[in-house]
Amino acid sequence: MSSTASAPLSASPRRASTGALTRVVRSPLLRFVGRRLLVAIPVLWGVTFLTFVVINHLPGNAAQQLLGVNATPQEVHQLAVKLGVDKPLLSQYGTWLSHLVQGDLGHSLASGQSVTSILGTDLPITFELIAYAFLISLGLAIPIALVAARRPNGIFDRTSMVFSMAGLSIANYILALILVYFFAVKLNWLPALGWVPPNKGLATNIKYLTLPAISVALSLMCFYTRQLRADLVQQLRTEDYVTTARAKGVGEWRVIRHHALRNSAFGLITAVALNLGTLLGVTVIIEQIFGLPGIGHELLSAINSRDLPVVEGAVFVFALIVVLANLLADLLYAALDPRVKYGSTN
Amino acid sequence: MTAPLLELDDLRVDFRQSGHVVRAVDGLSYQADKARTLALIGESGSGKTVSARAIMALLPETARVTGSIRYEGTELVGLSERRMRALRGNQIAMVFQDPARSLNPTLRIGAQITEAIHIHRQVSKAEAHDRAVELMELVRLPAARERFRQYPHQLSGGMRQRVMIAIALAGDPRLLIADEATTALDVTTQAQIMELLRDLQERLGMALIMISHDLGLAASYADEVLVMYAGRAVERAATQTLFGHVRMPYTRALLGAIPRLENAPHTTLAAVPGQPPDLATQPPGCPFAPRCPEVTDKCRETAPPLAEQEPGHLWACWHPCGLEDSAAEEVAV
Amino acid sequence: MAAPTEGLVPGVLEPAVVAPPPGEEGRLGRLRVLGGIWLPALLVAAIFFLCFVWPIIGPVPSPTGGSILNSNDPSFTPGHLFGTDATGNDEWSRLLYGGRASLEVALAVTAVGLIVGGTLGAFAGYVGGWRDGVIMRALDVLIAFPALVLAVAIAERLGPGELHAIWALSFFSVPAFGRLARAATLRVREQNFIAAARLSGTGHVRTLLRHVVPNILPELITFALLGMGIIIVLEGALSFLGLGIPPPAPSWGNMIAQGEGILSAQPKFVLLPSAALFITVVSFNLLGESMRARWTAR
Repeated sequence: MSSTASAPLSASPRRASTGALTRVVRSPLLRFVGRRLLVAIPVLWGVTFLTFVVINHLPGNAAQQLLGVNATPQEVHQLAVKLGVDKPLLSQYGTWLSHLVQGDLGHSLASGQSVTSILGTDLPITFELIAYAFLISLGLAIPIALVAARRPNGIFDRTSMVFSMAGLSIANYILALILVYFFAVKLNWLPALGWVPPNKGLATNIKYLTLPAISVALSLMCFYTRQLRADLVQQLRTEDYVTTARAKGVGEWRVIRHHALRNSAFGLITAVALNLGTLLGVTVIIEQIFGLPGIGHELLSAINSRDLPVVEGAVFVFALIVVLANLLADLLYAALDPRVKYGSTN
Repeated sequence: MTAPLLELDDLRVDFRQSGHVVRAVDGLSYQADKARTLALIGESGSGKTVSARAIMALLPETARVTGSIRYEGTELVGLSERRMRALRGNQIAMVFQDPARSLNPTLRIGAQITEAIHIHRQVSKAEAHDRAVELMELVRLPAARERFRQYPHQLSGGMRQRVMIAIALAGDPRLLIADEATTALDVTTQAQIMELLRDLQERLGMALIMISHDLGLAASYADEVLVMYAGRAVERAATQTLFGHVRMPYTRALLGAIPRLENAPHTTLAAVPGQPPDLATQPPGCPFAPRCPEVTDKCRETAPPLAEQEPGHLWACWHPCGLEDSAAEEVAV
Repeated sequence: MAAPTEGLVPGVLEPAVVAPPPGEEGRLGRLRVLGGIWLPALLVAAIFFLCFVWPIIGPVPSPTGGSILNSNDPSFTPGHLFGTDATGNDEWSRLLYGGRASLEVALAVTAVGLIVGGTLGAFAGYVGGWRDGVIMRALDVLIAFPALVLAVAIAERLGPGELHAIWALSFFSVPAFGRLARAATLRVREQNFIAAARLSGTGHVRTLLRHVVPNILPELITFALLGMGIIIVLEGALSFLGLGIPPPAPSWGNMIAQGEGILSAQPKFVLLPSAALFITVVSFNLLGESMRARWTAR
């Protein structure tokens, strides 16, 4: 039962000619990542295929949408052939797929712009919104949960739990409207609509994003606060290492901050990573309300104009992010939990 | 005679559990002296762990402690949390049962030891590091310097327990409480750890309170043994005295329950019949009455007091063993 | 992260090791239980009563077909507790009928999720192997699929409506319940009593029904209660975007959407359905949380 010093990740017998590459390939971490990505492929395929099917079953097609109601059938047909939307479903999908693996997402049927560049413009906006929201929510949730856990069932704890329950129950679009009503219309502190890119003034950029970010962040913050507080209290109440720390004479604050928080971080990280996926759906409605030209907004209008390549591109990216977020959660877990990182030697 | 290091006087601990009150410790009194080992023996639920945690004020909020615990003359019951914290780890230290879960899995063991050092002393990081390695070597942890940066899960159970002891010793405590410190270990490791504790006690002159359910362990390592049942002390004496003349039927039953090599194979294990008592519903009379082979009506009506019936030997029983017969029963351990 | 030490002799407590939840003593504890379960349960019951029963038995006018002559009556006009909207419809009635629509959708979606998703998940967790893999991948696809696309598609193709909203949202709830059911089943499956049942000759189906299901049900029901709140909000979002229940039939979501334009002038048209939504979601959340606290505090 003696322990070895941290052995190299490879467990196979060493051969003189083993190169660095082989060692990397054999690394359990990379194998783990590789396996997960491999499993994700059918999921991504399923999502994109499903989207194709769904969009194609919608009444009308891109050509029709572009030319409008007054176009003659011949004009529509001509444009349809030009755009390639008259071909059968599977053939269209096949073409798209073959381009995808070469890294080409196609071009918008409406504007002709490359989908990659459209996504490239829109994604950063949505990401900035999400990052801002995470910053607000975690920045508030962690301190609140720490203070609440310091005196469980105390006044602060009970109050914050009541408020967080209320916050969780507010729909984010309702919150958005209320925020706009108070802060934009009545108080005129923050703008109600629109977007200013960072290179035209970071402060303005953040101002425009603030109300949207708060709309998204509130329910997140409440969720994280409750989750972290519950986890911390449970650690403090039931875990033996907490008793050891107290028996050493460690003050309660340090027990919470230094000991319990480390162990509670896992649950929080998992929650955050999983939320990343669902947040993308949330941003659609928020971007709509606040007029932010992000990817959610783009998706909505692309569906309306039956702009298949854009829809597919956006959906693909969405699904990819969801997959990667889940993977990230697992990786972070593995990276932070010493038991996983250094392996067991017993 | 020098004043005892630790003195418990009529300690009672109650827990309020959804409406009713559970008395986990019911009038416990004893003393612990420097450089001596006291063994607290009892089954699960006898109150031994609760009483130990009461000394360190490590009980949950639902606990109510009454009575007196005096450490070097200072009354610990009702002491402010701040002053209690100054004592914990510093003067009074504790080693727990399950080293697997008693160490923080996300912190390196070196850090967990130096934390104990930093709390009570103003030292630099380097000094703390050296002292920690010193402690690790003191508890005979192999390859101390390398182990410093390792995580608890990379160590075996025995090694983790040594780390726990190192942590406990970090503040140079004068009283060490070992709460079932070897229960979770295999027999060989158990012996090693007990030897280590005994050795440390000789070197450092600490008072040691060892809590266990293992009478054999007590016989080998303790100077004085106190047997607990249902939150009360039922027998107490110096080790030789106790094992030489067992008086409490409960203690005798515990001894008898130890499997012996001399017995023929397939001999029925003499287990103590019945169940440990439900502390929430305590009938009057001796708590052991339902299970005692010597029970009479008097036992069921009145609880026998713990009294020094023979010099140096206290027990709480109306019908102690070995006194009715002319010859005292010698129980071989 | 780890469970408290086992090995307690029955009837005896080693309280220092397994710390009981504080604050559950005596009167205060009972008060908590009262607030925790009965109050939200009462609220939920009241909401259901108001939305489903009251319009039938009480003096509630029709939510549609109001006369333009009555439009924009202020609150507390006789016969119209909250006034009327721009087309003369009674606001109070719209609230109630809108609530009914939203709740119907939520119930249906939860039921579908619970039954379809729960079964799939429990099955997948129980049998394991390639069947588990296939089911899980299928559910993953549904989860990764932007529900919005689906909702828009359904709304465009089939026209917006209550049933279609149910369709669209079920694509959400089935995988959510499925995942939960699977995780819960995996945990239950490892327990000794399952092995004991199998060893004593119980067949798979019986094991599933008699042993697995009762043990995952509390978790599923708690999730369903919490999910009700989420689904109601989502239905509101759909209607808000014009993809759910179409006007003139009221739904809290489309009422908010309609009120958005006149938010500054007449905030009540947004605030009233928002408040209704809020109260409903809070009640479900409270109920769900206290159920969870009860069922995991063992």
